[in-house]
Amino acid sequence: MADGSAPPGPDPVGPAPAVRPYLVTAGRVADAASGRALPVETQVVATAEGLFALGGLSFEQHDIVAACRLPQSLAELAARLRLHLNVVRVLAEDLREEGLLAVYVPDAEATHDASVLRRVIDGLRAVPDSPRGTE
Amino acid sequence: MTPTEPLPARGPAAPAAVRPPLPVKMVIAGGFGVGKTTAVGAISEIEPLTTEASITEVAAGVDDLTHTPRKTTTTVAMDFGCLTIDPTLKLYLFGTPGQERFGFMWDDIVEGAVGALVIVDTRRLDDCYAAVDYFEHKGIPFAVAVNAFDGTVEHALEEVRWALDVSAGVPVVVFDARERGSVRDTLLVVLELALARSES
Repeated sequence: MADGSAPPGPDPVGPAPAVRPYLVTAGRVADAASGRALPVETQVVATAEGLFALGGLSFEQHDIVAACRLPQSLAELAARLRLHLNVVRVLAEDLREEGLLAVYVPDAEATHDASVLRRVIDGLRAVPDSPRGTE
Repeated sequence: MTPTEPLPARGPAAPAAVRPPLPVKMVIAGGFGVGKTTAVGAISEIEPLTTEASITEVAAGVDDLTHTPRKTTTTVAMDFGCLTIDPTLKLYLFGTPGQERFGFMWDDIVEGAVGALVIVDTRRLDDCYAAVDYFEHKGIPFAVAVNAFDGTVEHALEEVRWALDVSAGVPVVVFDARERGSVRDTLLVVLELALARSES
C-alpha cells in the first residue's frame, strides 16, 4: 500500500510474482514509455467465443477470460489476478487477436466531452456524505 | 456521445455479450503517506485495489556524453478505485505512486485523465512540487487539496498557494481524505474545472 491505510479486503493485493508472467508473454512487455500502451482504464470483456473456448485455455489466458465475464478495466484485472499491468496488457492483446476478448480502448474525445463530464458531475453529486461502513 | 468501439479482433470474433461502461479517469497525486489511498477508499465503491505499474524516472543529471536525461523504468505499486455513475459510465480514481525523487513520469497512468487532485500535507509541502509541476506541464486540469489531518491547517491557504506557486486558475482547497463527502466535493472542484475547459 502506498499510503499505509487499512489493507483492502478480499481482493488479493500481494506483490505480483516477478518471473513467470514474463515467461508466459515470451519475454514481451508492453512498451509503457512510448505512450502507445493500452490505458490502465481500458475495458475488457470476454467474447462469447472466449467463454466457449474457456475449457481449452490454460493458466493466465484462462484466468483472464474467466475473470472477464463481466467487463472491467485492465488495472482491475491485473490487481485481481496479481499480474503486472504490462503483462496483462500483452496477454489481453493476444486474446483480442484470437477473438476471445473484446478490448474497448477509451476514446479520449468522448471522455473529455462536456456532456460526459456533466453526467459524471451529476452522478458524483448524488453520492451521499456518509461512509459505507462504520469508521 | 461517441461510445468507445472495441478494437477489431483478427480472429472469428463474436460480439461480447456485455457492453462495458465508458471509463472516465481521474488521478490523485501527492507525496508518500499524504492520504491518496485514503481518499480513493473514501469514495470508491470497491476497496482500493493495488496493481504494479511502471513509471519512468528521469535522472536529476544529464548524461555527459549524450546530453540527454537518463531514464529508467521502475515498477511501483499503484492503488485505485472506481465509482459507477450509471451502467454506461464509470469513474476511475488512480493514485499515482508516491515518489519524492526528483524526476519521474506517470504518463503510463495519467494519459487520458480528465483531471487530477494533488493532495498536500502542509508539514511536507515540498513533497508535492513534482506533482504540481507535472500536471501544469501536461496541461491537465487539477486542484490542490490540503489534507487537514487533525482538523487544523497549519498554513493559510494563501500561504500554500504562494509556497507552491500555482497559477491563479488552480483551486487550492482544504479537505479531509477520510470523509466521503469531502472527497466528493473536492473531486467536483476538479471536474467543474475540466468541464469549464471543455466548454471554452
